[in-house]
Amino acid sequence: MAPKNGKALVVGAGISGIRAALDLAEYGYGVTLIDTSPNIGGILSQLDYQFPTDSCGMCKMLPLFNRDEGSQYCLRKGLFHENIEILLSTDLISVEGEAGQFKATVRQHLNWVDPKLCTGCGYCADVCPVDIPDKFNENIGTHKAVYLPVPHAIPNPYIIDFASCTRCGACIKACPTDAIKLPQDKRNSFHILVVDDELVMRDSLKEWLTEERFSVDMAASGSEALDMLKAKPYDLMLLDIMMPGMDGVEVLQKAKENFADLNVIMMTAYATVETAVEAMKIGAMDYLVKPFDPDALTPMILRIFQDADGAAEDRQIEVGALVLCSGTGFFDPGSGKNPFGYKTYPNVVTSLEFERMISGTGPCQGKLLRPFDGKPVKKAAWIQCVGSRDLQTDADFCTGICCMFAIKEAVIAKKTSDQNIETTIFYMDMRTYGKTFQRYRDQAKNIYGVNFARERIHSVIQDMATGDLLIKSVDVSGNSKEDRFDLLVLAVGQRPAEGMSKLAELAELALNEWGFGKTGPFSLAKTSREGILLGGSLTGHKDIGDLLIQASSAAVNASRFIHSKGGDLSTEHTLYHPPSGVMKEIPKILIVICTCGNRFLQLADSDHIAGQLKADPLIDKVVFSEKLCTDQGLGNLVELVKEITPNRLLIAACLPYVYKLKAKKLGNEIGLDPALIEIVDINTGYSHLLNPNACYEENKTEILDEESSSASTHHLLSIIETGIAKLKWADASETPKVSVCQKTLVVGGGIAGMTAALAIADHGFEVDLVEQSEQLGGNLNWLKRTLDGHSANELLKNTLESVKKHPKINIHTQSEVINSAGEAGNFHTEVKDPQNQIHTIEHGVTILATGGSQAPTQSYCYGTNPAIITQKELEIKLSDNTIDPEKLHSVVMIQCVDSREEPRNYCSRVCCANALKHALCIKDKNPNVSIYILYRDLMAYGFYEAYYTQARKAGIVFIQYSTDDKPLVEIENNELSLSVFEPILGKRLQIETDIVVLATGIVPNISQNLADMFGVSLDQDGFFQQAESKWRPVDSLKEGVFACGLVHSPRNIAETIATAEAAAQRALGIISHKYLTGSRITASVHHSNCALCEQCINACPYGARTVDYDNERIFVNPGICQGCGTCAAVCPNSASVLDGFIKQQMLAIIDVATG
Amino acid sequence: MTVTAKIDVKNQDISESIRKLLEDILKTEIIQAILVSQHLPMKKMVMPTLVTDPDHLDGIDPLAPAFPVNAATIAARLTRKPIGEKIAAVLRPCEIRAFIELVKLNQAKRGNIILISVDCPGAFQNKDYLKFAGQNPKEATLRFYKKVMDGNAVEVEGVELATACKACEYPVSENADIQIGLYGMKTDESILVKAQTEAGDHILKQINLSATNEPAARQTAINSLITKRSSFRDEMFLKTTETTNSLEKISSFFASCVNCYNCRVACPVCYCKECVFVTDAFNHDSFQYISWAKKKGIIKMPTDTLFYHLTRLTHMSTACVGCGQCSNACPNDIPIMELFRTIAHVTQKAFDYQAGKSIEQKPPLSIFCKDEFQEVVGIND
Repeated sequence: MAPKNGKALVVGAGISGIRAALDLAEYGYGVTLIDTSPNIGGILSQLDYQFPTDSCGMCKMLPLFNRDEGSQYCLRKGLFHENIEILLSTDLISVEGEAGQFKATVRQHLNWVDPKLCTGCGYCADVCPVDIPDKFNENIGTHKAVYLPVPHAIPNPYIIDFASCTRCGACIKACPTDAIKLPQDKRNSFHILVVDDELVMRDSLKEWLTEERFSVDMAASGSEALDMLKAKPYDLMLLDIMMPGMDGVEVLQKAKENFADLNVIMMTAYATVETAVEAMKIGAMDYLVKPFDPDALTPMILRIFQDADGAAEDRQIEVGALVLCSGTGFFDPGSGKNPFGYKTYPNVVTSLEFERMISGTGPCQGKLLRPFDGKPVKKAAWIQCVGSRDLQTDADFCTGICCMFAIKEAVIAKKTSDQNIETTIFYMDMRTYGKTFQRYRDQAKNIYGVNFARERIHSVIQDMATGDLLIKSVDVSGNSKEDRFDLLVLAVGQRPAEGMSKLAELAELALNEWGFGKTGPFSLAKTSREGILLGGSLTGHKDIGDLLIQASSAAVNASRFIHSKGGDLSTEHTLYHPPSGVMKEIPKILIVICTCGNRFLQLADSDHIAGQLKADPLIDKVVFSEKLCTDQGLGNLVELVKEITPNRLLIAACLPYVYKLKAKKLGNEIGLDPALIEIVDINTGYSHLLNPNACYEENKTEILDEESSSASTHHLLSIIETGIAKLKWADASETPKVSVCQKTLVVGGGIAGMTAALAIADHGFEVDLVEQSEQLGGNLNWLKRTLDGHSANELLKNTLESVKKHPKINIHTQSEVINSAGEAGNFHTEVKDPQNQIHTIEHGVTILATGGSQAPTQSYCYGTNPAIITQKELEIKLSDNTIDPEKLHSVVMIQCVDSREEPRNYCSRVCCANALKHALCIKDKNPNVSIYILYRDLMAYGFYEAYYTQARKAGIVFIQYSTDDKPLVEIENNELSLSVFEPILGKRLQIETDIVVLATGIVPNISQNLADMFGVSLDQDGFFQQAESKWRPVDSLKEGVFACGLVHSPRNIAETIATAEAAAQRALGIISHKYLTGSRITASVHHSNCALCEQCINACPYGARTVDYDNERIFVNPGICQGCGTCAAVCPNSASVLDGFIKQQMLAIIDVATG
Repeated sequence: MTVTAKIDVKNQDISESIRKLLEDILKTEIIQAILVSQHLPMKKMVMPTLVTDPDHLDGIDPLAPAFPVNAATIAARLTRKPIGEKIAAVLRPCEIRAFIELVKLNQAKRGNIILISVDCPGAFQNKDYLKFAGQNPKEATLRFYKKVMDGNAVEVEGVELATACKACEYPVSENADIQIGLYGMKTDESILVKAQTEAGDHILKQINLSATNEPAARQTAINSLITKRSSFRDEMFLKTTETTNSLEKISSFFASCVNCYNCRVACPVCYCKECVFVTDAFNHDSFQYISWAKKKGIIKMPTDTLFYHLTRLTHMSTACVGCGQCSNACPNDIPIMELFRTIAHVTQKAFDYQAGKSIEQKPPLSIFCKDEFQEVVGIND
């Protein structure tokens, strides 16, 4: 399928960017995915483990349909999709225009290693004399100045760290493909002018920059600077803002009048950051906040230097929409007062450093050893909220993920050390607000024995002799404690990413008060600028599942803009298919062997190889080509194929993953079906054969002795023969496909159902929206406003209006689903209307949005006294004025009623925010009222934290209770009495109150019967069971059925809308296609051999197989089949086959590989 | 209360007592036909017959040490599609276990068949039986029965039981609807008949039987037999492992194989419609043979002999019930059963599976357990 006319730019290739890019690409748009770093994957490329599976599942994001458009392997290694162009080391420079017609300029920073030529052989690193800290491993350990940014990426070209490279040139000689070009160092002709009134500042800057070999001049005032600019051309000016006389901004203005191209970086104290931001509007490139150290300064200067040096390429691309997912940064715990001794005490690490320590591919090979002395870690502690929920570091927010992150790390530590480690997490509130989080926490405690200590750390001191860390802490009741640990892991809080303000500036985005991207109202993706959407941790950290939901929500909104501007009018085109006779022809195989410079010839006897291969009568010709990876090499290949006209082509080169897409293009060019082009990797063969350290050194002989040469010839030959074996049996018949009914059924007409329906209908596809009750709207019919002050009323009104007048949405109220059958692409659902008539709706996908309700309760004497009400009732009573805040003297709110303990052991996520909302609302109207919120862990996650702070400032009293000593509510003679144990005072308090408000949480509205009809599972609490809570957050295991809203999980309105938009995006991925195309690698059935034992049906993990009893046949849905081959393994009869890996191929491959 | 009854034996003719019982069962009209082995007119060998007329049961000889085919395949053929009738089948315990496997493989249906089993005294190899039976097979059966029924003898008049039977630890079927008991009974006087399922009970209730209690001696006798056979079996495993535990040894084990595939035809659980080894999958290009030969200097022809047996082991060792028909069918006396049981014992143990034990236990490869064999797949370590 060719990209449609519509195009999108996704900035940031972390998991959010990848999700958004894949979503848009699956829909059929062309996507440009850029990332500042030289690799994709963002933070997740460094994380081996994610809870709750405690393993990685990133690849589950890959498309399930039309799989041949991309590659299907480890996503941490790389991403390839026909519709996605990936540009690494690339920044967004400017965005002009408006939604539908943006002109974006991106700047790709070129490296001295040409990624097109680099094969990742690593000889350069073997000879590089410079060692630098290993950034991928969070600076634990070192690598050379020429290095792999991510050790496991594919393709994996080396890059050179400009700052530390000495230009000795050793790598140039070592490189077998001439991929490295080191320019002359022109730093001494790069002139920098430092302008600051403080001598100390000028001197230290001069010292740093001179050390970096730049030419530096200094000016002590603005006017002096302007004079110097006139006297000599400068490439860069570092300009202080606060200077006596002419201030920095004025200098900037004047300098720019005469020297428009001059690069200027502003230097500012924290207080004048806003001025610096203003300065950027009049032409400054960036700013630095004082005090800064060389680590912050040097990379920025180097980047400007390289850009000026021509090491960057600007490109303008026209896109309909942008999705910004450029991520976030982290608090540096070593900055400021550094109370935990980070970087001072070796055994204190950050959570990310810990992640690399425990990684099997990390610098410690997965063994937990103390950095101080390399001894095993026997006792580790995690400290939460370092740089979060901390007014002293200006972080009145919660980072949202650290609690679960820490629990996971503690559990992994337990698992990998066979329980030979003691783990303690020091925390304030354990924010387990996701659907499965609370149980994961309980499991960590009860099964793995992780200690949870609700204590404040007041000091950390290292025992200088042993390296042990002495941690002094104070518990809730004020008791001091002291303990010794081997390792301390700091849960570092989020900070806006470097360059965030610059990005906001150029994209005209609003930021929240801490500098994170701001969206909304009621959207996690929409910004104030149409056509520019936000995703990912750029708007604050979230759990992976939530991030992907948000990314898909951003994608669907981007897609809406593109669509509404006529972006997807291009028609889909089909793959090239060969003349039908080709499969009947006797194979005529052309073998092209890339000699990778002259490496191959050094290793193997090419005449012998050619001779051996030619002995096979099906081999038409064996050709050696010097550098197949270059444009010229590829061009020669095309000519050759046109001349020889083989009907099969074998390329022996390297990196088959990369070549796969090249082969596709090549196939189209030379008229050969890509299925008849096979690529084998002889590069890995080289690496096995050569001891890299022994070769390419000046004095070593490069020719192997006879014996090893014969062994390597044999080895390379057998690799090539595996390709021939596969190619001989290759099948180029048409990829199987199933037709799609391009309509959607949405079950449930609350805000989630309506949002999903609108998102799909806005793309021009028909939607049937079925609602059980008389009116649409669900919970928004009573829920009036949110904690952040937005009106839910307005949202409901607008949504209803759009839904009702939408020509593509058919509304069925008072209707009920009574039966459904079918699978992705083709469902038939029977719906009973108010007149009890049954209609059958045909649809290609189903979205379940049946909602949720406030959980009923009998706890705390609810129902026996009108003064005991629920949060929902309070909301209603405050809205209709049946409760007048001004008449209240005292209010008690009890959180977690029947929640977060078995059997309803989950957090309902909205209750704490709800309590804060109502408490602040009442307090606002009546400052004299006493409000007590009795809670267990206050789930003011993310930016809700500020409201928690605000509530405490407003005098609202928070009392923590535990499940073994819950608050006591009693009614005697119609008198309400309430008591609770207050842990700080250590006393039981009697509280007089007018009302008691219970937060009972949310229960889902879906019957097992309805779930069964659509073939979806429910979790133990009755919520929709996701296919995978992190990586396929709105999918069910049954293809084509998605869920959103409260039936999916408890969520606030904006989060609910995000799930709805995500579900819509996933649905669009299917119904936007007329056919669901499988892959060349799809299972099929040889019916004549099939004994109908149905083992394959049981074995298929995707439910792609059904038995057709009428025709006595097994049917495989090629759209659903993922080509895993389990069915072929279980079938003894060879009736179940995996096309693309058929028996003949596999046996032949094994034969040559072992022969 | 399920029926447990005794049937009188007159003139030591157990066969006649069983014939009478089968006649009664057929007459209840709950079932319409019985699959049972009989001596066919003028022939000595017993072969499965399908009987609808009660008068045609005279040729049965259920204790004859003859086991020419495993009739599970035939029972499967009779039940695979609904026929609107109910049938009964008199099967050996190993046949019933094979039948259970076929039910799980969807090649047979359990619902419309009543399984009847007689305690199994074992059988000879086919060739041996024909010699032993002589001119009066029924009389030969009596001689055989008298010698082996106490469970101690494994040979009669110099003829040994088939190795499969000597190593069989399932002489009594757990899954028969109706079990006819001999072990631990005073079989000169009476034999036991008992219902082991509701369906079996339903039938026996229609017949006039004299109720009894299962004598305690019966279980003791069975247990002691199982112990003996198990120890023989374990010894067999050791010997077989010793003769097959390298590529060279296993090649020589199968050296006399002529690729006739009789073992596969005889195997009751080898259920493929068309075996891959009779397709052209291993009919390689002429070039291929030459190039193999060039590489190694010598190759055995045909090339797929060992591969055939290894494939069958891969496919069938989880379902192997050890009936021994493969050895029985081999024209060149390769002890195939010994190898299959040895391997099957290990594979079935690995999956905590017992072929033929119960319908509820799913075939190992058709279920997915996320956490199994972590030491093999290397997850989470």
